[in-house]
Amino acid sequence: MTDRAAAPGLAAVRAPAAGRWLAWAGHVTPWVIAIIVFFTAGGYLSLGTNALIMILFAMSLDLALGYAGIVTLGQAAFFGIGAYAAGILAVNVTADPTAGLVFGTVVAALFGLFTGALILHTRGVTLLMMTLAILTLLFEVANQAGSLTGGDDGLHGIRMDRVLGLFRFDLWGKTAYLYTLVVLFGWFLVAWRVVRSPFGRSLDGIRQNPKRMRAIGTPVWWRLLAVYSLSAAMAGTAGALSAQTTQFVGLNTLGVFLSGIVAVMLVLGGTRRIYGAFVGAVIYVVVQDYASKINPYYWMFIVGAMLIAVVLFLESGLMSLVDAARQRIERALGGPGAR
Amino acid sequence: MSFGLTILLDGLAFGMILFLISVGLTITMGLMRVVNLAHGAFAMVGGYVAAVLTADGVNYFLAVLAGMIAAGIAGGVCEVTLYRPLYRKGELAQVLLTIGLAFVAIAALTLVFGTNYKTVALPDYLESPVDLGFRVYPAYRLFLIAVGLALAAVLWVVIDGSLFGARLRAAVDNRKMAISVGIDVNWLFTITFVGGSALAGLGGAIGAGMLPLEAFYPLRYLVLFLVVVIVGGEGSFKGSFLAALALGIIDTLGKYFLPEFAAFVLYSVVILLLLWRPHGLVPPKAVA
Amino acid sequence: MMKRIVSALAFAAMLALPAGAMADSVKVGLIAPFSGGFAIWGQQFQQSIEAFQKVNGTSAGGNEIEVIYRDAGGPDPAKSKQLAEELILRDKVKFLAGFAFTPNAMAVADLITEANVPTVIMNAATAVIVRKSPMYVRDSMTLPQQTGPLGKWVAEHGYKKVYTLVSDYGPGHDAEEQFVKTYTANGGTIVDSVRAPLSTTDYAPYVENMLQAKPDAIFIFMPAGPPSIAVMQEWDKRGLKAAGIPLFGTGETQEVFLPAIGEAALGAITAQHYDVQADNEQNNLLKKTLTDMFGKDTVPDIASVAAWDGMRLIYDAVAKLGPDADGKAYIDFMKGRTVDSPRGKFMIDPETRDVVQDIYIRKVVMKDGKMVNETFDTIPMVKDPWKAEHPE
Repeated sequence: MTDRAAAPGLAAVRAPAAGRWLAWAGHVTPWVIAIIVFFTAGGYLSLGTNALIMILFAMSLDLALGYAGIVTLGQAAFFGIGAYAAGILAVNVTADPTAGLVFGTVVAALFGLFTGALILHTRGVTLLMMTLAILTLLFEVANQAGSLTGGDDGLHGIRMDRVLGLFRFDLWGKTAYLYTLVVLFGWFLVAWRVVRSPFGRSLDGIRQNPKRMRAIGTPVWWRLLAVYSLSAAMAGTAGALSAQTTQFVGLNTLGVFLSGIVAVMLVLGGTRRIYGAFVGAVIYVVVQDYASKINPYYWMFIVGAMLIAVVLFLESGLMSLVDAARQRIERALGGPGAR
Repeated sequence: MSFGLTILLDGLAFGMILFLISVGLTITMGLMRVVNLAHGAFAMVGGYVAAVLTADGVNYFLAVLAGMIAAGIAGGVCEVTLYRPLYRKGELAQVLLTIGLAFVAIAALTLVFGTNYKTVALPDYLESPVDLGFRVYPAYRLFLIAVGLALAAVLWVVIDGSLFGARLRAAVDNRKMAISVGIDVNWLFTITFVGGSALAGLGGAIGAGMLPLEAFYPLRYLVLFLVVVIVGGEGSFKGSFLAALALGIIDTLGKYFLPEFAAFVLYSVVILLLLWRPHGLVPPKAVA
Repeated sequence: MMKRIVSALAFAAMLALPAGAMADSVKVGLIAPFSGGFAIWGQQFQQSIEAFQKVNGTSAGGNEIEVIYRDAGGPDPAKSKQLAEELILRDKVKFLAGFAFTPNAMAVADLITEANVPTVIMNAATAVIVRKSPMYVRDSMTLPQQTGPLGKWVAEHGYKKVYTLVSDYGPGHDAEEQFVKTYTANGGTIVDSVRAPLSTTDYAPYVENMLQAKPDAIFIFMPAGPPSIAVMQEWDKRGLKAAGIPLFGTGETQEVFLPAIGEAALGAITAQHYDVQADNEQNNLLKKTLTDMFGKDTVPDIASVAAWDGMRLIYDAVAKLGPDADGKAYIDFMKGRTVDSPRGKFMIDPETRDVVQDIYIRKVVMKDGKMVNETFDTIPMVKDPWKAEHPE
């Protein structure tokens, strides 16, 4: 199981110039594409912002699910909490975007800490069920607390102030897109560092063999709690961004469907490959949008078939295609750099 | 007193529906260790076949049987083509493939049957209320309870009492050992999956009076099915029977005494139960 | 303020750019659920619109009217807003329409105000929506509009004690509030008011509680689908119907859903603004075209009627004002307009831009071997009471 992204240093040693250049190009590409999209998307910019938010969301799940092996279908809980927290703050206290962002992130992280402490000693399907049950409970709470959340009607009346006091959220969604992109980049750097740190490596071990990790003295439960809370914080930011850029929060942000969809995105792209979240989220958002325009009734068929195909034929997700392409290019360019 | 009995009957009936549909999932999840989120799709297939046949005047029980067979066949086909490769891949791959299968099923059923709700026509004697002496009670619910108990009894005999059942239990408890002892695990899996899907079809067809049939059925009730299986303990039909009963009664009690917060009650209880017994009420013996 | 003017001008300038081949084509963006658990709404909208365009042609006053369908999936305000943005900025629609859910409709309020796009709401029923933007027009109904008159009717017809059971979400609260208000104002007593979680599958305990409370009648509001099917079945099979406790509701017994409920529905009394049996020109046209185009079992419901009438409003507006009029001009045209509809006649209230229409009291009966809702009383030209009681 070659995990090229996990060992950039090795690649640099193997193939000096070509390998390094290619790695650098690979890292820069997604951001360049994002900037290009900004200038060319026109009326589709909103879709772009939504895709960026989903990337952040999927990345958060990758930390918990992909790296640490916490099988959860309840990630939407943190997304929804972040969204409602940011929205409620904007409506009742202050409409400053940064404040809402921080608030949403912190509240989600705390909730992650609390629920993680409660359930992380369980494993497998039991853990799965716990995450689902918590999500469902949270949904009911949000539905009941109508005066705060708007209940079934949703939280409306969110009017955001300027970002950093300078940039107004415009009709076209330009500010929203760039704002989201910057936040995504920030979290991406954090995720990148975490995954490459000793802490991140230990997660790999914990996922594969928790008993052995415990045997060598790793505080497994604490590490899981830490990564779960971090992942919750990230998802909370995604939710807050959603609330701020669409200026609306619906109960669907706490829906099981959303949890399922983000897991779909992650696996499509490839887990344990930070960029997997990028590829998967963009592909899903674009395919779903496109397919539902061609035939609103049957887009599920296309997405479902795609899922089945990816699982059966492309185990490591679509990123493995990128890997294969990269290997080919390296072989063509760098000679000894290829494996 | 009669009020208490009513609550018991209501809870039992609801529990039986859950058991009927989920027991197939328990067995497949326990045996093949496959998280099958498309289970509801097989239930739906059974239900739709029965609905179409009863709409054409076919006898209710024949229609239900046809539904079971259709669901079983669908299960067999899927097992051989889609699920077999899944056994080696992790939980996540299974979750995702079966979600994809559920999506495909939903889209396919929408294509064939449209977006409206369908029901399975009950024979007259099941439609009308029954006089129980202390009150009048829907015959359909009594029927559900009867079928659920009968099924539990049959499964007990088959799984605990027969050679097939013994092989099944062996393969669940310790697959490698079962293979080395000469049990053809592949064949066993296929048969079991067909059985599990047929049971799902039975549940879908008989339960259509409480869980109406529509294309979105597999996802609408998914969490409910999963709850029964996981709380009960994978692979244990006794566990799923107990879990279904317990959840059915607790949910009913919640609705009677805390009507607005019934959903809270159910899921809080699920969380508490799982904290108390993480491997389910009747845990699998080989926890590996 | 200045920024708003500048952005509005920028937007208008953008619109002035050449839009595409057909300068005459007026595009209508319809946002509704076409997939997932609520797909039937989208299907009813689409079939009705296609029927309308078959009967009335695809152009109004020489201008081609093109409908673009977009799937919002379910209650998903973010998606709804995104689709609306694309439709307005990319596809350059002149009108938006559809919206089965309140959150989806509300999410586009600021957008349509700023972009000056008239929006015809064809279902979302929360009373306050039309106030959120001067560009909304609603041609479907509000729940208080139905349950208010019903409450009064029930009180006036001798049912002294009523037990209400609604689903615990926005429309349920709206329905219950108004019913309780008018019912008690006219002398009735509410035995109990219960709100059942929307995710409920088994309604037996709720209905059993109603039986035990021995009311004179029960009032329910459930979204049409598994909840309404379940409650009505229990009402019948648990003996409430036999015990002489009638069931009052609104949209649960529409003909399109009756087959799934079965004979349990017989005897239910509901207040609705559309009677499928009505014998008028528009209704006969609607029904016949639907069965011709989509099969003999195709039955219209309130979604179908709202879509049909919504198209009528749009067609008339475009025929009169042409394809390039200002959004507000189209809205002004629709204000105060009376429309011949399959439901009879309805009017768009010039002050609130909401629908004013007759409410029919009807009962589910068996006629010629089929179950239908038979109207036996009418409350004429009801305005939405919620807005009157909550002035801006």
